[in-house]
Amino acid sequence: MEALLDFSQKSGIYAFMHTTWGWPVAETLHFMGLSLLIGTVGLFDLRMLGLASGIPMSALHKLVPWGVAGYALNVMTGVMFVSSAPDQYLFNPAFQTKLALMAIAGINVLFFYRFVFGPVKRTGVGARAPRAAQVAAVISLSCWIGVLVCGRLITYYRPPYHWCFWC
Amino acid sequence: MDYLVWLEETPFSIWMRESGPAFFSTLVLHAVGMGFVVGVHVTMNLRLLGVAPRVPLSMTRRFFPVLWVNLVVVSLSGALLLVAYPAKALTNPVFYLKLATVLAALFVTRSLWTGVLRDPSHDAGRAPRKARVLAVLSLLLWAGAITSGRLLAYTHNMLMASHQF
Repeated sequence: MEALLDFSQKSGIYAFMHTTWGWPVAETLHFMGLSLLIGTVGLFDLRMLGLASGIPMSALHKLVPWGVAGYALNVMTGVMFVSSAPDQYLFNPAFQTKLALMAIAGINVLFFYRFVFGPVKRTGVGARAPRAAQVAAVISLSCWIGVLVCGRLITYYRPPYHWCFWC
Repeated sequence: MDYLVWLEETPFSIWMRESGPAFFSTLVLHAVGMGFVVGVHVTMNLRLLGVAPRVPLSMTRRFFPVLWVNLVVVSLSGALLLVAYPAKALTNPVFYLKLATVLAALFVTRSLWTGVLRDPSHDAGRAPRKARVLAVLSLLLWAGAITSGRLLAYTHNMLMASHQF
């Protein structure tokens, strides 16, 4: 926690986030990033589950780098939030759950590109994605929606009124 | 202002404000719904601008049911949040800016829908210039809607009309 605050203060992030518009600007960018992620990765997941089956999956996948860009933007703005007020996050059950869901989503991404993406790319128009891809899509959608829910709930569990449930 | 005080004192408004779960689940639904509303527009507009050119343009309409469902979710949850703190939004010019931005963005979507999206002759390759301009406009308007929406938490003049602080 000390290290996070130290990083924030030395890098100038702390000063920026505590100006009048610093925090809201970072929050706005954070929401734009999540919209990019939901719009590209989320809709790709829905395609694997059978929606818009007239779109070739390999063609739709070309949008995913924009989702990755949104993710990168959100990691950056996320670090800005957490390092500028670490006690509001580290002891917050919503934030802890959010990190856990991000970890599951990350493992799911590795699993997907290692084992499932090849067959998915070869799946033609109109066909359903392989079973494993559908499982990965459900995990991905649930995790990212859960991440969004937890992100919004961080303001609900404000330490010191709500401490970590499981430690 | 009198009607705002009256609305604030209705049992439903009090319940929305004071029941933590009711208020926060509405807030969560509003955020998730908005993520999907903007998300569908992200995919549609990126395709119009030439990213993922092999996606048949008219097929992006198949994602629109996701948009309709989430538009209902954001409208209903938005109305509930308004009932919880009517004066907070209605006395803030940024709230009207957000409404105007969303309506303008949906108007752009409508003209894309009735124009280029329904016409399979644009399925392959570049979209017409007019459609690309509208796609940029749509992205800017949704960015504006997100910005003004987020700023609502920072720009209000009062929380409640009945006790102004």
